[in-house]
Amino acid sequence: MIELQGLTKTYAGKNVVEDVSMTLETGEFGVLIGPSGCGKSTTLKMINRLVPLSSGRIILNGDDVTELPAEQLRRRIGYAIQSTGLFPHWSVARNIATVPQLLKWSKSRIDDRVDELMAMFHLDPAEFRDKYPHQLSGGQAQRVGVARALAADPEVLLMDEPFGAVDPITREALQAEMRRVHGQTGKTIVFVTHDMDEALQLATRIALLNNGRLVQYDRPIEMMVKPADDFVREFFGQADLGLKLLSRRWVHQYQRPPSLTHHATLPGLDHCWRLDEAGRPIVLEGARLDDQHQHTDVRSEWIATPEMSMKEALSRMVWYRVMVLPVVDETGKLIGEVGMQGIMGIESDGGLHAGGPAS
Amino acid sequence: MALPERRRWFGNRVLATLLIAAVASAVLLPFASLSPNRLVSGQPVMLWQALAGWQLATFALIGLLLLIAALAGPLPRRLALWLSLGATLPLLALDFQALGAYAHGALANASPAARVSQGATFWILLFVSALIAIDALQRLRLGPAGRALYGVAALAVIGVCFSGELLSPVSIMREFANQRDNFIDQLVRHLLLVGGALLPALLVGLPLGLLANRRARLRNGLFSVLNVFQTLPSIAVFGLLIAPLSALGRAVPWLGELGVSGIGVAPAIIALVLYSLLPIVRNTYAGLAGVSTGALEAARGMGMTTRQILWRVEIPLALPVILSGLRIVTVQAIGLVVVAALIGAGGFGAFIFQGLGQYAIDLVLLGAIPTIVLAVIADFALQILVSLSRPSGTR
Ligand SMILES: Nc1ncnc2c1ncn2[C@@H]1O[C@H](COP(=O)(O)OP(=O)(O)O)[C@@H](O)[C@H]1O
Ligand SMILES: [Mg+2]
Repeated sequence: MIELQGLTKTYAGKNVVEDVSMTLETGEFGVLIGPSGCGKSTTLKMINRLVPLSSGRIILNGDDVTELPAEQLRRRIGYAIQSTGLFPHWSVARNIATVPQLLKWSKSRIDDRVDELMAMFHLDPAEFRDKYPHQLSGGQAQRVGVARALAADPEVLLMDEPFGAVDPITREALQAEMRRVHGQTGKTIVFVTHDMDEALQLATRIALLNNGRLVQYDRPIEMMVKPADDFVREFFGQADLGLKLLSRRWVHQYQRPPSLTHHATLPGLDHCWRLDEAGRPIVLEGARLDDQHQHTDVRSEWIATPEMSMKEALSRMVWYRVMVLPVVDETGKLIGEVGMQGIMGIESDGGLHAGGPAS
Repeated sequence: MALPERRRWFGNRVLATLLIAAVASAVLLPFASLSPNRLVSGQPVMLWQALAGWQLATFALIGLLLLIAALAGPLPRRLALWLSLGATLPLLALDFQALGAYAHGALANASPAARVSQGATFWILLFVSALIAIDALQRLRLGPAGRALYGVAALAVIGVCFSGELLSPVSIMREFANQRDNFIDQLVRHLLLVGGALLPALLVGLPLGLLANRRARLRNGLFSVLNVFQTLPSIAVFGLLIAPLSALGRAVPWLGELGVSGIGVAPAIIALVLYSLLPIVRNTYAGLAGVSTGALEAARGMGMTTRQILWRVEIPLALPVILSGLRIVTVQAIGLVVVAALIGAGGFGAFIFQGLGQYAIDLVLLGAIPTIVLAVIADFALQILVSLSRPSGTR
């Protein structure tokens, strides 16, 4: 758990961060968001004292660490940044081992930890251990950066726009990976971004800053449906609020058993899946937007998985003009379906307040 | 509809140009000269007059191999480069061997005062070999190990040529034989002067470079002062130091006993240190300033102390630039020590100025050639050190 109490930073008489107080419980994923220059990075860097506090206190798991020597504090807090900051003269393994080495762990313990982290980030140790940062792609370098930040099992992980410089596809992959790692490790994370979609993808708590002040600190859903003021309302935007909500909903929450026979109870929605002998869907009969009786070959492009966001599922339905998507497991077996109707169903009966898996 | 392409005859134009230069010099300029004694200027001796048939044939064969390596058609690119690199070693050896053999033959029945000296073609063949090798090493992109290996092989060839009696009748080697003990003394002195200047320059320059990196306000002032030293002519600095140093040596007797006086080692080392400071400070500063801010922020953010950041991150990353500065000042100091001989500091410059005074060109060369060789070896060695200091994988 980390508590920030009245953090203030003054540059040349001007408060660029003013009286920011917030508490992040252990295992929460907190995202600091706000317009450029609002003081996100400054707030984050005050937590590990890269920026000295003008006033305020930091309580880490009950200890007041405001007066602790900065180096000691920083070794208890992971830090990952946009430029990765990987040391170009050190191999991937040595980069990841940075903090354990500072903490004088034994060599075998460091080696085990490095392998464990590389596996967690899907970097094959045999291939990547001895590579140098300049031999990595942007996404790989960023993974190494985050692995390095987690190496000594820090109490809190700070991340300053870590995925801001990678291409959109890699960014989405990294976000998914970050969600998974957060789930696996249960780390308390403070994450800075100016990208609302990224915040909604990741956050269990969002802190919206403006002009150095904390405007609202709440769960993402509350921020959207109960904005504290017009600034919050505008910042979260009204136009695609529904889609933003769906980006925090997962297919498994909406999934229902697949329809394997025709039953014409609901006109226009009658459909049925044809499976192969391994239980994989091959044909969808009916449920087309344009022609309900048409048979559609199932293609991998419009299949859903339980972990997919509902926003993406909806997007696939629209693009491939079908009313339902098959939900499959890792082996491709049909385990359920998710449809247009289901989306409306939940949201209309109070789904706004149902928590996502991470909220 | 491709336009008829103009045929390129030469795949390697540098090599072709060097070959043409070598052939032109062999035809037009003397290979050696023969004179009745050391003060009279000699008769030019052309390559074909000086050489036996087998030597000419070998020269022609090496030339032919180099020509094939230079042509666009016959060989794959890398093979051609390896061939030209390999051919430089026999070319080097043959150049020395031919001169020595000619001197032995020409002096066998001449008066003891008669002298054989190397001519323009001898030098040009030497330089052409060196340039071919440098060009090939660069195009092959050989790593530090490959370069070092070639350097050692070339030194070995030259060493073998000088080890026996082969070159002893050549005029400059007779001069060397007369001066042998003195030569060793001056070599040691030359090296001590260079080392004696570089050590304090590094001890002062490295911290100053760090200071320039840490204190932006000091930086401009520091660099202006160091720049002034760099622009003063070396002779003027030696001259300027004479008065204060001799006064100091007289006023403080123990300093005088240590050798501090207006002429000699003390002013030489002081001047050399002043000249070496700017490149060392500037490169140290530039190397440290070039370390990425991301790496520094990460290092701090992960809890490295200032000292750990300096030793583990900044210095290793700045090292190639710092060593490049050292390379500059080492080569520069080896050359400047020659001038220091004027104020009695000794070193190879002593031969040069003595030779100039006596119109004895061999004595001048006895000072100049080893100076050049020292500079080339130092440059080569430090260049290898610079590439070794680059972060692994980025070499
Ligand atoms: N070292 C500094 N000196 C003076 N002003 C600074 C310094 N660092 C940041 N600022 C100012 O503080 C404000 C907040 O900066 P920052 O926290 O980096 O914003 P954000 O990360 O939200 O974009 C900006 O107006 C910036 O100009
Ligand atoms: Mg920022």
